[in-house]
Parts: sequence; structure tokens; C-alpha cells
Amino acid sequence: MAKEKVYMHAEKQKHSFEPKIIAFVCTWCTYAGADLAGTSRMQYPANVRVLKFPCTGRIDPVFILKAFQQGADGVLVSGCHPGDCHYIAGNYHARRRFAAFRKLLEFIGVDLDRLQFSWVSAAEGGKWVEVVTELTERVRAMGPMNEFKELALDEQWSGKLDSPELKEAYNAI
Amino acid sequence: MTQAIDTSIYSAVTSAIQAEAQRILSEGQVSAVVGYAPARRKGSAQPVVITEASDAGKLIFSASCVNNLAVYLTKAKKEIPKNGKIGIVVKGCDLKALVGLMGETQLKREELHIIGVPCAGVLASTFQPDKALTTETIAPKCRECDAQLPQGCDFVPPQQPVTQALEKKYAAEIARLEALTPAERWAFWKEQFSKCIKCYACRQVCPFCYCEQCLCDRNKPQMVETSPRPAGNTAWHIVRAMHLAGRCAGCAECERVCPMDIPLNLLNRKMAKELKELYDYEAGFEIKEKGPLSSYDEKDDQSFIK
Amino acid sequence: MSRIGVFVCHCGENISRTVDVERVAAEVGKLPGVAFSTDYKYMCSDPGQGLIKKAIREQRISHVVVAACSPRMHEKTFRKAVEAAGLNPFLCEMANIREHCSWVHEDREEATVKAIEIVGMMVERVKKNRVLPTITVPVTKRSLVIGGGIAGIQAALDIADAGHEVVLVEREPSIGGHMAQLSETFPTLDCSQCIMTPKMVDVANHPRIKLYTYSEVEHVEGFIGNFQVTVRKKARSVNEDKCTGCGVCMEKCPIRKIPNKFDCNLGTRPAIYVPFPQAVPNTPVIDRENCTKFKTGKCGLCQKVCGPGAIDYEQEDRLIVEPVGAIVVATGFDLYSITEKPKGSAIKGYGEFGHGKIPDVIDGLTFERLASASGPTGGKILRPSDGREPKQIVFIQCVGSRAREKGISYCSKICCMYTAKHTMLYHHKVHDGQAYVFFMDARTPGKNYDEFWRRSIEEEEAVYIRGMVSRLYQKGNKIVVMGSDIAVGVQVEIEADMVVLATAVQPRIGADSLAQKLGISYDKYNFYSEAHAKLRPVECATAGIYLAGVCQGPKDIPDAVSQASAAAAKVMTLFAKDQLEREPIVARVREASCVGCFACKKVCAYGAVEEKEIRDRQGNLIKVVAYVNPGVCAGCGTCQATCPSKSVELDGYTDEQMVAMIEAL
Repeated sequence: MAKEKVYMHAEKQKHSFEPKIIAFVCTWCTYAGADLAGTSRMQYPANVRVLKFPCTGRIDPVFILKAFQQGADGVLVSGCHPGDCHYIAGNYHARRRFAAFRKLLEFIGVDLDRLQFSWVSAAEGGKWVEVVTELTERVRAMGPMNEFKELALDEQWSGKLDSPELKEAYNAI
Repeated sequence: MTQAIDTSIYSAVTSAIQAEAQRILSEGQVSAVVGYAPARRKGSAQPVVITEASDAGKLIFSASCVNNLAVYLTKAKKEIPKNGKIGIVVKGCDLKALVGLMGETQLKREELHIIGVPCAGVLASTFQPDKALTTETIAPKCRECDAQLPQGCDFVPPQQPVTQALEKKYAAEIARLEALTPAERWAFWKEQFSKCIKCYACRQVCPFCYCEQCLCDRNKPQMVETSPRPAGNTAWHIVRAMHLAGRCAGCAECERVCPMDIPLNLLNRKMAKELKELYDYEAGFEIKEKGPLSSYDEKDDQSFIK
Repeated sequence: MSRIGVFVCHCGENISRTVDVERVAAEVGKLPGVAFSTDYKYMCSDPGQGLIKKAIREQRISHVVVAACSPRMHEKTFRKAVEAAGLNPFLCEMANIREHCSWVHEDREEATVKAIEIVGMMVERVKKNRVLPTITVPVTKRSLVIGGGIAGIQAALDIADAGHEVVLVEREPSIGGHMAQLSETFPTLDCSQCIMTPKMVDVANHPRIKLYTYSEVEHVEGFIGNFQVTVRKKARSVNEDKCTGCGVCMEKCPIRKIPNKFDCNLGTRPAIYVPFPQAVPNTPVIDRENCTKFKTGKCGLCQKVCGPGAIDYEQEDRLIVEPVGAIVVATGFDLYSITEKPKGSAIKGYGEFGHGKIPDVIDGLTFERLASASGPTGGKILRPSDGREPKQIVFIQCVGSRAREKGISYCSKICCMYTAKHTMLYHHKVHDGQAYVFFMDARTPGKNYDEFWRRSIEEEEAVYIRGMVSRLYQKGNKIVVMGSDIAVGVQVEIEADMVVLATAVQPRIGADSLAQKLGISYDKYNFYSEAHAKLRPVECATAGIYLAGVCQGPKDIPDAVSQASAAAAKVMTLFAKDQLEREPIVARVREASCVGCFACKKVCAYGAVEEKEIRDRQGNLIKVVAYVNPGVCAGCGTCQATCPSKSVELDGYTDEQMVAMIEAL
């Protein structure tokens, strides 16, 4: 396993597409878990950018939306395991909120493979690496998340300004 | 096949509402009654606030009494007297909004005199108000109504609505969309949201959008783009659906007032369906202190969390 | 206009090995608002911090970003440095380019680009940071200690001796805990009662210790320095103020055959009882489940014989609220009972040793009671089945402990030593007896511990067999113990008269529900979690709550006492100040836009959200809005994510700050 990794790096694969991954994490568990991955010198793809929140309970669904709009190809939300919340119950509230929100996004047509939720404790540096690597690789294979980016470029009435009906109306004036 | 829907009880219901309004106003039980009155166009109705017992005769109930009057008790309460108990005429669907608002400490039960309406259905917004109520002209929300007879009101006329099972359009549409691929659903909603002109009529009419400052109007930071462009529209409708999740009981006013005919209630119904499946929660039946998204259970489903 | 200073650290080579720090400093220097950027070998060193202070003074830097290690490592350090230079400490943020970047990526280009982006994000964030004033809260200089075993007693005495009042709550009718049950203690073999009971008496007589026995913590509210603890004082049915402890009631009680839990059910006690003669307080309790008066309404003998008239059948549970500033949790342990699986236990059961079925298979604590001079046999080692002296005795180690397949992977730590002690006690009392010990490893670190263990073999003639027992069954009045000696590779079969199992130590049943009341975290076995395994071993992550003894993890008496004194020292440190400074990361309500739906109140786990009336000058009610008590708010921000109009904001993690970061992507 370790050998394989070294080999992978020696022949560092260049990918045609490198996804942008945004991670919303709580400071007490997952941020600390990611720190542990660092102190243990584990290796994982450099695609992830971490935003630290006090608690998953603080993470507003709008932030996820915002991240996609800002060009994120994948979003990770991660906090303390149930029962371990530093703030007693923040993660329980977050669990419900995101259970509902992901259903909404799914219904709107967002591929849920781009949105990952996980519990990563302060002791789970390995799990952090696993979750981030898996999400990065999955999203990389899926290609860029174009839906929101295209929306941002779209104008409301664009393409319809020269419709035959409009032209006819214009000519009639 | 189009079939007529029996609305013959509505005239008796109208009389009963008038009598009740007359009684409570003259006895001084309430300072005003919010109800429906005829409007100018033939067969149409509009909301009215009456404060005199002598005006009780203005009140009606018909298939064109579509509005959810609950909104007049929260943000649209300019014409409502500040003091005293208020009487309000509600259909079963509107009552659910009142119940929700009570759970959110926006209304107090003891400050309301609720006149419930036995309702066989109202007209869809796409038909003229003088049309007869049929299986074709009935509002989509009435097709899946489970509250024809409002429960827990102070007064309900004794008439019983004749009901018949109708095809559930929202449920069918949700199922149709769920069966599509994410890309196909995205295309559907993109098309729908591209119609949005950000008039915010959906927000104005919604009894639950009672915030004094909407998150979507904020500019520090700008959480949602405010201009009527596809990105901002999509964000607005997602945020709206999320904020109503677990609260909206389906009065479908948002959809009725949308000038661009965006199927807004579809999103609300989808969220209601998910919350029912996930947490066995249905909005609007009893006053609950905590909704599904302000409470939790340690054993909640977390199969989606790694 | 912000003038941001960015300080990029090499961390020796820890960062600069994979991240081109000069390039990071140069690139972020171009960002709007950045007035100064530089890199340095060790930013946390004195000259490094000097660099920051100098820049603040000379470059008029208004906000600081330090790109270095994790904020969990040095955020405090840099915020202090910034404060020393005259800036509000909360205008300083750290960009984590070590743990989250240089240490986890090998590709220099990738890591450098990522580092630039991370710093860029923090630059945008810090622009939106606001000056936050330090919040101070008063400290109630009284402490609660939960659990009256040796750890709780030690902590209570230390804190009380330092001059602070202590409320000691014990669930059982007497303090003393497990240590009061022990016969003699390793490695010195001094009598447990002899060293324990004087301490118990000290507690009883201490002017600053308020003792609640037969009581439990019902409810905890508040926060560090200001807890409100509700104690349920269970009905004792005996008036403590009147009772003189003469014991006549116990002598006259007609119900006499109730197994005595203190003696591991070997002896019996009456329905009105003290658990053991040296109990503190020496006030009996009526066991209402077994008392005839409570069962049938008849009897009442104890009331008749009680001279001072202390018996009170009408007594009810009382709820008492105690304000305290700190809490020491010392709830101790239960021995894992292999007979029946405790409810909610993660352990998967351990059927094969016949415990509970074969009467002469006992656990270590029962053996302690047999060996104790004040025990049910007066200190004679006798079989529970027939009262005969066992001539062959087998001790089995690691029963439950270190058995991952059974659900416990930890070592119970005390069993090797107490089994060695048991073989000695046995040898001292049964001179012609032979003790065998089945063990996996002998774990005897500790002062004079290994010497003690060796003595049990070399001088006290215990036979240690390395290997586990595979089967055990009753044969006549013998217990056949079959096992393997893996050292010599043979099967061993011993016909024993008695078998003693070193069953696993586990947290008290119900430790999890107490943790939930306290708002502290616990591991999968329900051992309470310390804030940091190495550097904060006696503090909970919840401020103001400290741990002592086995509730935090298996430990022996010296360790439990040390930890208790350490916890007491932490409490005294807290009490050394009149006012407590806390991080100003608290939620604030924007009253102008709050519509009073109280979604925030519904999700607040701390009860920090209150209802506040807004009135006009004439006193007319305009609206009711939410108010967050900054003393109670813990700063999780769940309220903000829940608030539909975002009328509540968490300082330090405002929407502006978080969105600025997202938009920097």
C-alpha cells in the first residue's frame, strides 16, 4: 500500500481536471482530525479548502449553496460524531437540517455525489484523509460542476431577445 | 372526465359565518373579523376586515374565496385593530397556517376567534372566478386536501362538504420528477426559475414569511443575489423552500399568486413529504413548540453521513 | 480601510520544505487591503512575534493574518502578541498552512498554490473581523464534587482545605466508595479501612464540606464559575439531625435477610441499615423496597425503639439547588458483571466462566470482602457455597479486559496488581493453600509494583500460568479449570476449590446520563473524556468541569488520588480570580429585525436565549425579541444557522466573515 503511494507520487498523475472542494468543518472534531492527519504526515489531494466553524450547528445551508455558486465542484460538511458534540447537540440539529437540505438539492437536480457529509472525530486523522480523498476522486471523475456556474453567466432574457415574435413586434412599430 | 363538485353548502355556510360574525362583534367578543367579501368581478371574492356587527352581512364563502387570510394576522396586519380578540374565517388549509404561527409564537390562540369553514374546495387560480367548481377547475391543493372540516375552531358551520377522491397532482408530479435524472430535474427547475421576475409575491403572500428583514434582502453579506437573474432566482427559491420546510402546510398561496406560474408549492410539498418520511412530522395539525428542524432525536437517520 | 499584515512562517523547514513561503508572502502581498507581508523562520519565536508587533506599530497594521500552524496550536500566542502591540486580539487570524497544507502534500507547486489560497481566504475573513471586548463573569467560589469515593474525598478535602466551600454528593448512603470495601492495598499491604476511614471522618467534620449522601445530581444549569446544580436528596426515612447513630433500630428490625451490597451480597443486613459499621454519616437508611412498614403499613418497630424519634416514614425526596463555580466529577466504576450484562453496556457478554452459576466463582471485589477483617467472614477466606477453606484457588486475569471480541479493548490496569495482592493475602491466611494465576501479561509499572508482583511468586509461592482458561465447570464440590500454559505449550487442568475472576473495570452504570446532564463528553465505554489526553488530563472540554478517578479511565488508588488533587488544584486556580475572562465568541441578537419566532431558543442546548420585551417610551409593548445571555452562551452558533432572518449573529463567526471566505474561493 505504502509502496504504491510512493510510486503514485513518483509518476505524479496529471489530471485534466482538478476539482475545487470546499469543506465546512467544526473546530472541535473534524478540524482537529484534519490537524491530526497533518501531524501524522498523512497525504491527501490538495483540492480541499477548509472553513472552520465552531460547530456543525453553525453551518447554514445557504453556505453550501454559496459554495457551489462560487465554483465549488464538491462540498464536504463534517463534524463530531453523535453524542460527541462539544456543544451538546449542535451536530444533532445539523444532521436534521442537512438531511432535509440534501433532499431539496437533490430535487432541484444537484447530484448528491457532490455533497458529502461525515463525522470525523479529533482522533480520526485517517478518516479525514479517506473522506477527502474519496470525495476529491469521485468529483474529479464526475467533472466540473457547471450547473451553478452556468446560471451565474446566464442573463434572464438572453437568447429570447431576437425571437421571431419579438422581431415581428419590433418591425410592426 | 370533468365532473361537477358539489358546492351547494356554501350558501348555508355563508349564512352561518354571517350570523357568527354578527354575534361575536355585537357581543364585543372580538374587535374585528377577517373574512371574505364579494369583489367587483363577477363571482370573485376578496379579503375584508369588518369591525361593525352591521357589516357582518358582507361576509361570504364561495369557491372563489381562495386567499389564506392568516397572512392578515402577521405581516399584513395594518388594518387589523391592535387590541382585542380577532375573528378569522379559515378553510382547513388556512387553519394549518394559523396552527403553525401559534407554534412559532406569532399568534396566541386566546387572542383569536376561529371560524372554520367546511370546504369542498376552491377554484384554481387559472380559472375565472365565476366558473363552477369541477374536477377540472378545482385548485390542485384541494385535490390532496385532508382538512375539509377544520378541527379545533371556535365555530364551524354544521354543513358537511361532499368530497370525492381526486387524482393527486402534486404527488404525481413529485414522483415524476423524482424518477428523472439529476440533470433532467435541473433542466426542469432551471426552466421554471428562469421565468422568475423576483416580484416576491410568493414571499408577500406567505403567512410564514413574516420576517421583518428577509435574509435574501441583506447586503452585508449578500447571501442571495437580489437581481432577477437565474443564479439569484435559483438561490431564492432554494432558500425559500428550505426556510418553509417543516412549517409550510400547503395553502399554496405562493403558487396561486405567482404571475409566472412557477410550481412553487411543488417544492414545499416535496419538503413536507421528506420530513414526513424522515421524522414522521406533518405541519399544521397541532400546535407544536418545536418543528422538525428545531428539534432532534438521537436516533435520527444518518445513513447519508459517512 | 483595513491595512492587513500577513506573516508567513517557515516553521523551521516544516512549512518551507513543501511550500514556497517567499512566494506566498509575495502573492498575498498583492491582495487588496494587504499593506504588509513578510516571511520568517519561526513566527512564534520571540523575534518572530517582535516582527508582528513592529509591523503593527510602524506600518500601522490594522488586521493580522499569521500563516503558520493550526490555530489550535498558536492562535492564543499570536493573539496575545497582537494585543501587546495595541490591537484587539480578535483582529488576528491564523491561516493553517502546516497541518492542512505543507504536512499533507508533497507537490511543492500544489502546496504553494493551496497555501496562497488559504491565506487569501483568511485575508478576506480578517477584513470582516470586528473588535470584540473580553467578557468577564463572576466566579462563585464553591465547588461541587460528585462521588464520595477516594477520588471525590481527596478532591473535596483539598478544595475545602484551601478555604473554599465544597458540596459533596454521594449516591450511596455512605461515602467511602470502593476503597472502603477493600481489604489491604498494594503495594504496601496497609489496611484500606485504616487509611480510608480517617479521611471519611475528616469530610464529615470539615466545616467547609456540605455532605449530601443518598443523593444524586438531578440537573445542571449554567457555565463555568456560575453553575446551578439541583441535587436530589433521596428520602432516607431517618431524620439526620435527630439520629444519634446508636443502631438500636438496626438491631430490632425484624427483616434481617437482605443481601448486603457492600459485602458483595455475601452478608446480610436489616431493612434499616448503614452499609458498613464505619459509614459516614453514621445515619441509617430505610430500604423502602424491603421494609414491612412501607410494604404493608404494619410494623413500625424502628420508630418505636428510636429514642430521639428520628424515624420519619413520611419523609420525601428533596430537591436542593446549590450554586457552584466548578464541578469535579469522581463517579468511579462498576466491576463488569459477567453474570448479567448491564443495560446499555457495549460489552458483548462473557458466559464461559460460570460466574453467578457456580457459587465459588467470585470476582475480585468479593474476594476483597472475604479477605477484609470487617467483612462477612471476619477476614477468613471461606467458600460462599459451604464455608470451607479453599485449598486450591485459581485467579483468572483479564476477564473482559483486553478482549476486543467481547467489546472491551482496554486494559483495566489494576487487576495484575490486585491479583498479586490476592495471592499474598490468600497465602497469609491459608498457609497450606496453593494459588494459581492464569494471565496474559503482567502489567506492573509503578513505584514498587513489579517488586510486589515478583514477591507474590518468589516469596508467596503463587504459580503463574501464562495462558487463558478455556473452560471451567463444577465437578462435585470442585471446580475444574482447564486452560493452556502457552509458555511450555501444555494443557493444564486444575481442580480448584475457588475461582476468582479479575473482571473488567468499567464506568458506573448511568455514567452517560450524568454526562448528558453535565454536558461533558464520554467515550464509547462511557469513560469521561478529558480535554486533552496529555496536556489537559483532568479538565473536561466543558469549561469548569474536572475529572478525578476511574470515571475518566481505569486507575489505581495512587493515580486516582493524584488526579483528584490535580483536579482540586485546577478548581483552586479558577477560584484564585474573582472575575473570569471568557472568549467573546457569543451570539448577539439584532433586535431591529428579530420577529420573535424563538427558533433560536428552541435549538439552544444551553438555555441561553431569553425573551425580551421591547417597549416604547409610554411603556407599550412593541414586540418580544430574543436575548442571548452572554454568560450562558457557549458560542456554537446553532441559533444563527436556524434563525430565518439571521437576526442572531455569532461574534467571531458572523455571516459576513464566513461568506467572505467562501467568496474568496
